[in-house]
Amino acid sequence: MVETPGSCSGSGNEHENGARIGVFICHCGGNISDVVDVKRVADEIGKLRGVVLSTTQMFLCSDPGQGLIEQKIKELGLNRVIVAACSPTLHQLTFRRTVARAGLNQFLFEHVNVREQVSWVTEDAEAATQKATRLIRAAVDRVKHLIPLDKRRISIHPAALVIGGGIAGLVAARDLAQRGMKVTLVEKQPFLGGRVAQLHTLFPTGEDARDALKRVIEEVVSHELVNVITNAQILDSEGVVGDFRTRIRIEPRGANSQLRQRASAVAACPEQTINEFDYGLSQRKAIYMAYPGCYPPIPAIDWNVCTKCGKCLWAVGGRGINLAEQPREMVLHSGIIVLATGFDPYEPLYGEYGYGIFPRVITLQQLIRLLDPLGPTGGRLPRNDGEPTRIAFIHCVGARQIEGVNQRQPDGKVKDYCARTCCTGALHAALEIRRRHPEVMITDFYQDIRTYGRGHETYYEQASEAGILFVRYDPRHPPRVEGNPKGDSPLLVRTSDLLTGGLDVEMPADLVVLATGVVPHDISELVGMYHCAVGSDSFLLEVHPKLRPVELAVAGVFLAGSCQGPMDVTEACAAASAAASKSAALIAQAQVEMDPFIAKVDEELCTGCQTCLTVCPYDAITRDETRGIAVVSEARCTGCGTCAATCPSNAIQQFGFNDAQVLAEVKALLQGAALG
Amino acid sequence: MAEAHIVQQGATPAAAGWEPRIIAFLCYWCSYTGADAAGTARLKYPPNVDIIRVMCSGRIDPELITTAFAHGADGVMVCGCHIGDCHYISGNHKTMARMPLLKRTLVDLGIEPDRFVHEWVSAAEGEKFARLVREVTERVRRLGPLGWPQRMRERGVGCGMSLEPWGA
Repeated sequence: MVETPGSCSGSGNEHENGARIGVFICHCGGNISDVVDVKRVADEIGKLRGVVLSTTQMFLCSDPGQGLIEQKIKELGLNRVIVAACSPTLHQLTFRRTVARAGLNQFLFEHVNVREQVSWVTEDAEAATQKATRLIRAAVDRVKHLIPLDKRRISIHPAALVIGGGIAGLVAARDLAQRGMKVTLVEKQPFLGGRVAQLHTLFPTGEDARDALKRVIEEVVSHELVNVITNAQILDSEGVVGDFRTRIRIEPRGANSQLRQRASAVAACPEQTINEFDYGLSQRKAIYMAYPGCYPPIPAIDWNVCTKCGKCLWAVGGRGINLAEQPREMVLHSGIIVLATGFDPYEPLYGEYGYGIFPRVITLQQLIRLLDPLGPTGGRLPRNDGEPTRIAFIHCVGARQIEGVNQRQPDGKVKDYCARTCCTGALHAALEIRRRHPEVMITDFYQDIRTYGRGHETYYEQASEAGILFVRYDPRHPPRVEGNPKGDSPLLVRTSDLLTGGLDVEMPADLVVLATGVVPHDISELVGMYHCAVGSDSFLLEVHPKLRPVELAVAGVFLAGSCQGPMDVTEACAAASAAASKSAALIAQAQVEMDPFIAKVDEELCTGCQTCLTVCPYDAITRDETRGIAVVSEARCTGCGTCAATCPSNAIQQFGFNDAQVLAEVKALLQGAALG
Repeated sequence: MAEAHIVQQGATPAAAGWEPRIIAFLCYWCSYTGADAAGTARLKYPPNVDIIRVMCSGRIDPELITTAFAHGADGVMVCGCHIGDCHYISGNHKTMARMPLLKRTLVDLGIEPDRFVHEWVSAAEGEKFARLVREVTERVRRLGPLGWPQRMRERGVGCGMSLEPWGA
């Protein structure tokens, strides 16, 4: 349900005569008043028409300060309040609440920034005083055009949809369920676990990754409030916060819980394909289990590979396998959505550090698969005769790249951000190799070691003590990997070492491990569907990196884990728990309140040209076919005002920023300016 | 206040002691916060730029800018989030499309290109914002007072329309 604010007046002049404006100017303990002559500003403003009170106070945000505002509103019957103080980003909400406590509509308040944008940036006190006067004068003219607005209230369907069944999605689903929320978890792959399943041990604890994962999966799937759907693809989504309807398509698994002889079914399959779980280091069958102990513990059929030859069916006597199973579609109704779509490891370009040319150049992810005792080689590293004797790690592959130095990616950009997990991950793997094979010589080519997390630095210390050789390269001249014409080792890594003043280093290697970066998993369809903001690094962008770190600008959609940026497991779980608690809080409110600064169409003026439909980033405007006019969905509109600037008939106005209000501000600021 | 009154009252010739009057339209999420960042860092810039806050640079109707010039602004700045960082996904794409067109129109209407500046300023670019204000103020100061209504009258075009795009 949406409550509509009153009609949005273009002129609003009817308020002008009745306006009783109170202006409160803050000293901010000298932060403002040391530069701006606040007393003089107050006197000047007090002379303006409509201003009933113009006064100053030492700290308006303090209890006595707020008390003064409340008292004066009641005492003088103020119906407009202006506070000139710090930035509205700091205390606008504080003062809106103050105004509301005094019984005045909180949107009949205006915040003027005379600290960050006047006293702190202006050297000349006289000029600062004049500027403050101008800005407050503009606010006085602006508030005359303000109209009371109500926050929009939308009721919330008490169910959550979590998209992505990796560690972040699992933790978010678990936390939501533990708070008593109904949760549906959808995963695109046939198995849960995501990237963590592909790890062997976790830093900084060294615990078994799959054990940790298994515990979370058990908590999730055993919870009666959680419904897990694997093999599911999001087709489309409509609705807004409180009332999302997401249509999914569930691909046929091909096998079901009646299948008993699972190993026989897999063994009988004659078709082979590259096993993406081992990053291409092994092969798997068309009917397969992703990893030992995976959930669901039922094989799935890869229909791209399966020829429907029926051999698996024969092997198990026909029970539990259905090669004719059809895809199903269903609609999920939820009040909120958590995106936990995760990341992909950076795939080096062909020839980047010899990748693709030399088979002994592998990525860190592949090395981790090789180190896994349950991995493709049973934990052995490749070498012609036994184990390798020399291993080189190269850091920052596909991370912290420099425009003009590194080759551009297919999207035309370089990966200039730090992938954060690869330094500790590489050292973790290097120490594991050292523990198993003390005789192996390990060289680590890096630009900076960023073992930033709690307990991560220990890896660097241990690596140094364990005799791992560190060579620091200049990022503008990254190392080169070449074939080695002589000697035992097939590869040669060349660079100049900054730690020895640029000495040229030539290091033979049996294995070169590229500590590759992290890129967001491709979710371009979801980005379009949920109107997600995306940063220049292609990761999803939160509303505010510090104050609202797990919310998208689209109300009711939350971010969990590495879809938002490179994170280790600790951080991904923390983000997931944060997203779960933010969404649980929203669901618990039963109703959501939203700022009322939305767009409104004047039905008289609208000509139905549909120009606004083409500019709205949220598809919030539709055309009412019977009346031939544009209609704004109040729940969907986020209040950017782009349509208001676009409408050729000025039929769309934005509450709080309508033409009359902004124009009043422009004109008041320019009072006294020379016209010729 | 009646518009005619302002016109008469403000119609003073450019004299010594003239200071440029510049209006800056800033989006709330990036550029306004960037301007705040300049303040938090105590960077100093000239007091000639008065900031008007809108939620998104996509809200900045070209008519707001012409109105500012018609009311005596010597310069106008428009700042928004960098492309790719828009809080509203693509509001700034519309700004990017509009502003160059507007600039050409303004030149046709007798306003020097240096008087109208369109730049992206992120929430972290306090230094860039302060530098921009210094540069724009200096450029406009060098150009002298605009007095656009007078300029238009001299061209015989009249400025009634541009003064009041929405009527009184």
